[in-house]
Formats: sequence, structure tokens, C-alpha cells
Amino acid sequence: MNGDFLALLPKGPRLPAAAAGAGPVSLLATTVFAFHYAEGVVVAGDHRATAGTTIFSDKTEKILELDSHSLMAIAGVPATAFEMARTLQTTFEFYRRSQLQPMSLHAKIRALSRLLRDNLPATLQGVGAVAPVFVGVETANPGAKPVIFFYDPLGAQFEAADFAGSGSGSPSIKSVLHFLDRWGNPRPAAMPLGPACALANRLLMTASEFDTATGGVHPDRGEFATLKVLSREGIRTVSASEQAQCWKEATA
Amino acid sequence: MTEEPYRWLEAIANRREYVREQLKGGTPVFAVSRPEGILLLGVGHGHSKVFEIYNRHGFAALGHPVDIEKVRQVAIEAAHLEGFNRSAEDVTLRRLISFALSPSFKNSFEQIFSPPLIVEAIFAEIGDRPEGDVLVRLHFDGNHHYDAGGVQVAFHQPKPEAEALAWLKARLQPQDSLGRTAALCLAAWQALMEEKPLAELAPPDEPVGSMAGRLVEAALLDRQRPGPVHYRELPPWNS
Repeated sequence: MNGDFLALLPKGPRLPAAAAGAGPVSLLATTVFAFHYAEGVVVAGDHRATAGTTIFSDKTEKILELDSHSLMAIAGVPATAFEMARTLQTTFEFYRRSQLQPMSLHAKIRALSRLLRDNLPATLQGVGAVAPVFVGVETANPGAKPVIFFYDPLGAQFEAADFAGSGSGSPSIKSVLHFLDRWGNPRPAAMPLGPACALANRLLMTASEFDTATGGVHPDRGEFATLKVLSREGIRTVSASEQAQCWKEATA
Repeated sequence: MTEEPYRWLEAIANRREYVREQLKGGTPVFAVSRPEGILLLGVGHGHSKVFEIYNRHGFAALGHPVDIEKVRQVAIEAAHLEGFNRSAEDVTLRRLISFALSPSFKNSFEQIFSPPLIVEAIFAEIGDRPEGDVLVRLHFDGNHHYDAGGVQVAFHQPKPEAEALAWLKARLQPQDSLGRTAALCLAAWQALMEEKPLAELAPPDEPVGSMAGRLVEAALLDRQRPGPVHYRELPPWNS
């Protein structure tokens, strides 16, 4: 028994390899991101799901808890992304229970990379690309801090020193975060939860100004981002009412 | 040999005797349904008696460590495959026992040219309320029974096991704390190990003293724990 849940699953039919002349990978219509703040990492996302120019839903949850100490922010084809998250949830728990120890952080990071690589045929055909952001903390090391990793749709993984974003609305967010990280006072990494929470909502509002696929965040209407924070103690969801309080204090 | 019915019956009887003999070194394990959740308790050397299976499921066992490990893996694999292919709510103890575990035990016991599983086990599933809790006593030959009284004991000798079960049922009160519940289980554990008659055993006024250098392994399927995973290991203690 090696604790590999994927080994238990039957090998399903794979999509055929991309035909010659297949189009480029389509951009991922969403906005998710993560940045370090004073007490850990903030992971946030908008609520909009689109199909072409149609708004499919403005109530989508894109920040998914994989286990008690790791999160995945999904960008890309929802069917594939949600299935990847579900597979990872089962994989991590299966390993923890069968091996009587949690999977290491590096193994979790590689597990997501493996799923993306297995999805290569769909990615190359432009019908199943996923480019997630992974946030986790090594539970075996009492001194470890949460880390942020982002992936390309082919499975390459990159650690982000300060922040990472994915989806069509992420370029503007990454620009703002870079600016704040370089010249901000305070920098996002020094912010307590309240200001960090307000910043996350402001970033999504900024992204929605330039990206039609980003939406569902309207503090004036009581609609806030999906927002979770990860620290050594684990994951905490910041509720809409808590975000409303943060927003009120930040805009007072 | 197995072509002759008498020989087959004789082989099965020998096998039953062999398994019971092998189980003699095993120490009892307990499962008790409480308002807080289901307490699983055994005495061992750390991660040797009480285990997590799935979000709402755990088990406690005595027997050969290798066989306990085999059973554990089978249960975990079956539960996770079911949870992945359908949903976590579809993983029920009744189905795990009927379709995965009990047949495996029975096959293992009756295939007389392969080694039997030397395991006696209790499986537990927590419900939203104590009335929804499910406790199953699974024997090495695949036989199993459900208990509606909220208590299960597994030991290698049926008669003392039944006495311990009756003793616990008679003494456990709804208002008992988890500590008191554990103390009663440990008193029964000690009586079973020392072959004392349970009928004469008084409830302990203070925690059980010596357990020959072993640790109490206990876990709670915690009804109030937020999130999907209800299993919570309680820190091991000496007595």
C-alpha cells in the first residue's frame, strides 16, 4: 500500500491528442489570486462563471479547501478544475488515513502538477485548460509559513514570493499588487486582516473594470469576494458580514 | 481433502481453533456512543488499536498487527472509492460491512489453504444524533452484528466479552463525561485482562492504575467537530 489513491481508479478513456493545427489555449475567464499578509496568506476570487460572452453564474465558489491546511484557487474550465479539486481532496485524505501521517506539502504541490500534466490532451485542444493557484503550509514543520504556488496549464509549478494570480482578470491585479509590494505603505505582507480583506475586494473591483469575465463583487450591495485565509492554525473563511465590517472600517 | 465434506468441516473447525488460539494475546477494545460522539478505546503501543476510516467512520481491533493493517487498508480503500465515485454521504457502515468487509473476512476464513485474518473488530459510524450512531461487531469469520445499545466490546473470548458488554451497559449513564466513560472501559479492560469476574466488579472511584507499560489509545468521532472530518484522536495516556 503506497497511499496513492489515483492508483485505485480505473484508467478512463483519455481525450485524443490534439489534432494538427489545433487552436491556441483559450484564456481563462475568471480572477483568483493569493497574497501574503501579516498573519498568513489571503486567497480570494470573484464569483462569475462565463460561457463565451454569456454570464453563466455570479455565485460561483472558486476557492476550494483541499484539506485542513491547503487550498486551491481555480481558473480555467470548471468541469476539469472542480474534478481536480475533488480528486486532490480525496487523495490527500486517503494518504493521511492510510499512511497515518499527512502528505508533505511538496507532495501535495506535485500531486496537482501531476493532474495538470495528465490533462495535457484536453489542454492542447483548448477545451480543458486549468491554471490554478495552490496555497498550503507544511504541517510537519512547526516553524513553516504558508506558501503560494502557481501553475501553467501544462503542469509547471512556480513558487510566488509575494503574490500570484490566475485568470483573465489577474494581469491588472498583479500590476496593482506589484506596485503595492514595491511602494505600498504598508505593503500587503505587513497588513493585518482587515485592510488585507478590503484590499482583496478592491482588487477584484479593479479587475472587473477591465475584464468582463470578472464580477459578482459589489460591496455597496453586500456582495463580497470569496475570501479564505491560511495560517499555521489552518484555513478560515472570512464571511460576508466580516468582510462588510472590514470594508466599512477601510472606507470610513 | 476438501472434496470430502467431513474433511472440510474438520479443516474449518481446526482453523477456528487456530484463529482463537492466535487471538489469545489480544487485548480488548471498546466503542461507546455518547452525546459528544463515539468513543473508541483500546490499550496498545500507539497507532495499534484505534484507527480512522473515513469522515464519520472509525474502527478498533485486536489481533495480529499485519492483519489489522490489511483490514484497515481494505476499509479505507472501499470507503474512499465510494466517497469519490458517489459522495461522502453515500459511505455508510452498513454497506461497507455488507459488501466490502464481511465478505473479505468470510472468504479469508474459509479459504483453508491461505492464511486467515486474525482480527476481531468493532466498526463505528457517527450520526447527527446518538440514535443515528451505528456500531458493528465484526468477527474473524465474517459474522457480524449491529448493536442498538450504544456499546460494543471486542475480546477473544465470547463469554467474558458478553459479560463486559452487559457490565458497561448497566453502568454507563447518559450524563457520564468522556473521562468517566473511558474510566469504566478501562476498568472492564483490566478485569478482562486479569480474568476477574465482571459481575463482582465495582465501578472505579479513580482511574485504573497500571497497564503494563502500554498506552491508552482513544479517539472520538466528534459530533460537534466542524467540517466533514469527525474523527479526532485523543492524546494517549498511561492510565
